[in-house]
Amino acid sequence: MAAVAATAATKGNGGGSGRAGAGEGGGTRKKKGPGPVATAYLVIYNVVMTAGWLVIAVGLVRAYLAKGSYHSLYYSIEKPLKFFQTGALLEILHCAIGIVPSSVVLTSFQVMSRVFLIWAVTHSVKEVQSEDSVLLFVIAWTITEIIRYSFYTFSLLNHLPYIIKWARYTLFIVLYPMGVTGELLTIYAALPFVRQAGLYSISLPNKYNFSFDYYTFLILVMISYIPLFPQLYFHMIHQRRKVLSHTEEHKKFD
Amino acid sequence: MARLPADGAGAVCPGPTASSAVEILDAKTREKLCFLDKVEPQATIAEIKTLFTKTHPQWYPARQSLRLDPKGKSLKDEDVLQKLPVGTTATLFFRDLGAQISWVTVFLTEYAGPLFIYLLFYFRVPFIYGHKYDFTSSRHTVVHLACLCHSFHYVKRLLETLFVHRFSHGTMPLRNIFKNCTYYWGFAAWMAYYINHPLYTPPTYGSQQVKLALTIFVICQLGNFSIHMALRDLRPAGSKTRKIPYPTKNPFTWLFLLVSCPNYTYEVGSWIGFAIMTQCVPVALFSLVGFTQMTIWAKGKHRSYLREFRDYPPLRMPIIPFLL
Ligand SMILES: NC(=O)c1ccc[n+]([C@@H]2O[C@H](COP(=O)([O-])OP(=O)(O)OC[C@H]3O[C@@H](n4cnc5c(N)ncnc54)[C@H](OP(=O)(O)O)[C@@H]3O)[C@@H](O)[C@H]2O)c1
Repeated sequence: MAAVAATAATKGNGGGSGRAGAGEGGGTRKKKGPGPVATAYLVIYNVVMTAGWLVIAVGLVRAYLAKGSYHSLYYSIEKPLKFFQTGALLEILHCAIGIVPSSVVLTSFQVMSRVFLIWAVTHSVKEVQSEDSVLLFVIAWTITEIIRYSFYTFSLLNHLPYIIKWARYTLFIVLYPMGVTGELLTIYAALPFVRQAGLYSISLPNKYNFSFDYYTFLILVMISYIPLFPQLYFHMIHQRRKVLSHTEEHKKFD
Repeated sequence: MARLPADGAGAVCPGPTASSAVEILDAKTREKLCFLDKVEPQATIAEIKTLFTKTHPQWYPARQSLRLDPKGKSLKDEDVLQKLPVGTTATLFFRDLGAQISWVTVFLTEYAGPLFIYLLFYFRVPFIYGHKYDFTSSRHTVVHLACLCHSFHYVKRLLETLFVHRFSHGTMPLRNIFKNCTYYWGFAAWMAYYINHPLYTPPTYGSQQVKLALTIFVICQLGNFSIHMALRDLRPAGSKTRKIPYPTKNPFTWLFLLVSCPNYTYEVGSWIGFAIMTQCVPVALFSLVGFTQMTIWAKGKHRSYLREFRDYPPLRMPIIPFLL
């Protein structure tokens, strides 16, 4: 009897009254895997994305071999890079409709920041495209994405090779700072051109009574890396410890 | 039965003389925090919280959440031990809600900020618009009207917080104040910056647009105030009861026929009026964000009305008649 009442009380949780509800909440949320259709779709999506980033990797290597120099490799992979990085926007949708259990906000933030860098910085400011810093983040992203998407693919198929798991939770130690360096240097290189051209900026007076300074905005974006980068990096280190040590223990018991 | 842990964390709390026993466990660790061996069956949760505070002074009653199930809903302060589905020894699970701050304090800081910040921009204090504009005044009438409306709105809210609302919650977590103040203060500064800017462009349709906007604003302010008065009259002073609100003689409250939270409807209306009046994008964005937030609250409130009252009027929607 007591147990029944207690369960009923648990169910009754959620949706407080007005703003009073804000402090409470929580409760249990069930974790369910995606259904068979969703799984099939996700496998296809992840295979395509893995392949896409492999295309970019191969493109980079071929262009390098053909040119004998690593400068301006961006132009040789510009199209697939834009296409597959933009395709990552679907990941936000996957989280939103619940077939992938990650947080919508976090995923949006990660995907959008990259789409922003590709379109609103690298695409929009032609002058930075030949900078080496672009290559720096492109290489970091390419390796990261090949591993990440194959990680998802294999996990969905329930056959995750240890090497991929290890790579996903290890290579970021180098690739992540490398990508961030490339991103920051690229934004920094874009600044003078943005200011000169007044790119994406609106100034007063106008009838909407609103102004926007893209130059300042980019500086704020760069500053926002200071608190965000260490947080994400140490979160990943923590994940690594959790995921990899767990597996090693398993192995010992097997 | 009540064996104490060696570390003394579960000291026997002093209890009044009578039958039931209550043990309080930490909801996360299940560690026994307190054992009250003689509690009157008529004791309320509020009284149990007071007893618990005696051994754990760091957790004053407002900080405590007591539940029957570690992940369940918090018991209300008015709940009586006897009426809970528990045996002779009641096991309650404790969660620390974190440092608390009075609800009224939060509202006052939240609302006094925008009032003050807006005026800084209105009077163009130094270091905002450049030296030559210091303490100058705008040549557009609408700017002065907007300042009047904005100030009126926040003065009204401050007065309502002090003299009208009868809140059922005394406190809220301290961290809320930082979140809410950033939101209200930040937006107020952003809006005020553009409205009072020397390069401000007045509304496209001139005084007609301003008159229409002012009408919307005034009606919605009156409506919002009427709803707050109606909600106040639902609750006798000092109580925490919750009733179904119904329209009264005041026509502004007739919106209760169609929505559960007409005060939010009117509030959003006021901001739309203000946005039309100033023709300023940041104001429109503030209205939109406020609308989203209030819709979420209204839905929660609507749901709890439906849960609590079987005879709840079926025609009502949370915030927008017939729609949302
Ligand atoms: N611009 C914005 O972004 C924004 C956002 C939110 C609010 N606001 C303004 O602030 C005002 C107050 O906000 P709020 O969220 O506190 O409003 P609320 O939840 O509607 O509550 C207003 C008052 O009425 C009481 N009350 C509500 N329903 C009741 C019922 N059925 N029976 C008895 N008493 C009841 C509440 O007590 P409880 O303590 O029990 O809830 C509270 O004291 C709003 O109306 C709006 O004007 C503005």
